[in-house]
Amino acid sequence: MHLLLIEDDAEAARFLAKGLRESGYVVDIAADGREGLFRATEGTYVLIIADRQLPHFDGLSIVAMLRKNGKHTPVLILSALGSVDDRIEGLRAGGDDYLTKPFAFGELLARIEALLRRGNLPDVTTRIRVADLELDLLGRKVSRAGRPIDVTSKEFQLLEFLARRAGQVVTRTMLLEAVWDLHFDPQTNVIDVHISRLRSAVDKGFDRPLLHTVRGAGYVLRDGG
Amino acid sequence: MEAEPALRMSSARLALLYTALVTLITAVLLATVYLLTRNALEREIAAVIRAEVDDLGDDLRLGGVDRVAATLRLRADSWGRTGAVFLLADAQLQPVAGNLSAWPRDIEAESPQGSGVRMVEFEIEAEERGAPVLHPVEARIERLSNGYWLLVGADTSERKGVLRRFGLATLWGTGLTALCVWLLGAAYARRTARRVREYANTCQTIMQGDLTQRLRTIGTHDEFDALAKAVNAMLDRVEEQTTTLRTAFDSIAHDLRTPLYRLRVRLEEAQLSAAAGHESLPAGMQELIAPALEDLDRLQRTLTTLLAIARAEAQGVTTHHDQVDLAELVAGLVELYAPGMRAAGLEIALDAPDRAMLTGNRQMLAQLVTNLLENALKYVPPGGHVHVRVESSAESVALTVADDGPGIAPADREAALRPFVRVGDANAKASGSGLGLSLAAAVARLHRAQLTLGDNAPGLIVRCVFTTAARRDAPNGVAQVI
Repeated sequence: MHLLLIEDDAEAARFLAKGLRESGYVVDIAADGREGLFRATEGTYVLIIADRQLPHFDGLSIVAMLRKNGKHTPVLILSALGSVDDRIEGLRAGGDDYLTKPFAFGELLARIEALLRRGNLPDVTTRIRVADLELDLLGRKVSRAGRPIDVTSKEFQLLEFLARRAGQVVTRTMLLEAVWDLHFDPQTNVIDVHISRLRSAVDKGFDRPLLHTVRGAGYVLRDGG
Repeated sequence: MEAEPALRMSSARLALLYTALVTLITAVLLATVYLLTRNALEREIAAVIRAEVDDLGDDLRLGGVDRVAATLRLRADSWGRTGAVFLLADAQLQPVAGNLSAWPRDIEAESPQGSGVRMVEFEIEAEERGAPVLHPVEARIERLSNGYWLLVGADTSERKGVLRRFGLATLWGTGLTALCVWLLGAAYARRTARRVREYANTCQTIMQGDLTQRLRTIGTHDEFDALAKAVNAMLDRVEEQTTTLRTAFDSIAHDLRTPLYRLRVRLEEAQLSAAAGHESLPAGMQELIAPALEDLDRLQRTLTTLLAIARAEAQGVTTHHDQVDLAELVAGLVELYAPGMRAAGLEIALDAPDRAMLTGNRQMLAQLVTNLLENALKYVPPGGHVHVRVESSAESVALTVADDGPGIAPADREAALRPFVRVGDANAKASGSGLGLSLAAAVARLHRAQLTLGDNAPGLIVRCVFTTAARRDAPNGVAQVI
């Protein structure tokens, strides 16, 4: 898995690259926009992580030029500009995701995974199975080991989001964005309460828990530890 | 472009007033000239008649009635004064000489005592191109010393005709002047009203957030161009300042976030390498790093909120024109917070219509609602109630969040809407930075909405009223205290 990291802050680039390599990725670093654009155009990367404010070309211009040249490599934009408008502008410019600095490394990792696995599951699926948990997307019903489970419609949305990314870490911010369409972080951890309710619905009375908390990062739906 | 009646009326009224004034002045002027001319003509005729009477008087003195009659015959036959009328009659008013065939009817030969002079007016019949025509005559009658009567007069038909034509010209002149003035005035009033209306519309657009708009100058260098130039110069300055502010906020954001980012990177690196077992951290280090990261998160959130407030304030009015259903938005957020509220021992209730559409920035409005809900979550003690209400009318959409918590003292309410004020107990354990309400107020201002804090007796009631697009003349939103 070959990633390109375009980041002019050498210290941050070094740390990110180190963390990503430890997570099993191969990482190339470009220190400015021109080099970044060159490498992105020439190379065969599965994902590009680009800082928004760069010397020569900024992250958004790089995305625009790549898309104009017919390259559809997913781009994750990192930025110190964190207002809602900045985010929306970044996503409209063709970025596939947008992270505001400073961010937790776990958040970045979760989003990279989400971008890489995007599209693995076709949208037309009508049923998702995770271990013995089954989601009926048409009837919006949940059952585990054949036993029906009662969930609210928001809980179903949450579960569907997690189930579509089974085995992948999903962060609180990703859930807020996807399920509640909120592009800012509330001060309190409102998501935790929803997850614990969902957990008690899904896991209570079963030996093997499916919904796990990943410390410092988020949640994951998977079979076993 | 719809005309504003008041504006149109004011300039049209002015045009009408000027028309009336100019008409009056013209009428007075022409009437004066008319009267002066008439007087002059009358006086001239009177003078001519008097001179002739004097001449005839001389003839009488020198040669008696015969000489007068001879002079009159001479005058009547020769080319004398046009329109002259003479008659010498005896005591029985039988004509002796002159160009009248008989003493005029209805005129009594009677002279007042003393002067023996009398002015009369009558009409004589003449024949012009075979048709009888009446000519008005003004004459002077004098009784001569021998008992004869002398009548000297002038045909005034020409004078009357001149005066009539003059009068007619006066009326026409006045009317035409009035018409011209009114047309010019109306055109000017229209032009003025149009430019003022254009300026008003442009200002409206600018107030709605489009700072790039400018008033149009048309190069006439008149007072409107001067006004437009002055306003445009002011707008240039405002735009420049706004841009400077925005750039400043962006660079502040960048300059503060970059070191925060590095700080986080280093702390996380330490944490991760400890977790991966590459290096061993001294005992207790892990317990120091985790809270430091939490503090960092809090710092970042405060910074984000502050920058959001600052940007909202610098922006003035939002340029986002998304249609947002506040009822749906609030319902979603109440659902998001309800489990957390219940876990904190609070009861939350929602009253909302099916739809409550308004124009604005969805994310910012969500932030406003979120801040109000988080405020309640932070400050209302367990066992409390939070009541959220959305009301929609033809003209406005209102959001109310009421609780039965400690509330905010009336004196502190205004301050609570300003950044960095945490009201009440300074040692309150709540972890908020006190920016929640000020960000809510800034977002409200951005949407030209009114955010007010009130007493829920007991508790706090926050009310935010958005004027919907139907009314464009809404006053600029201000956060205020009720």
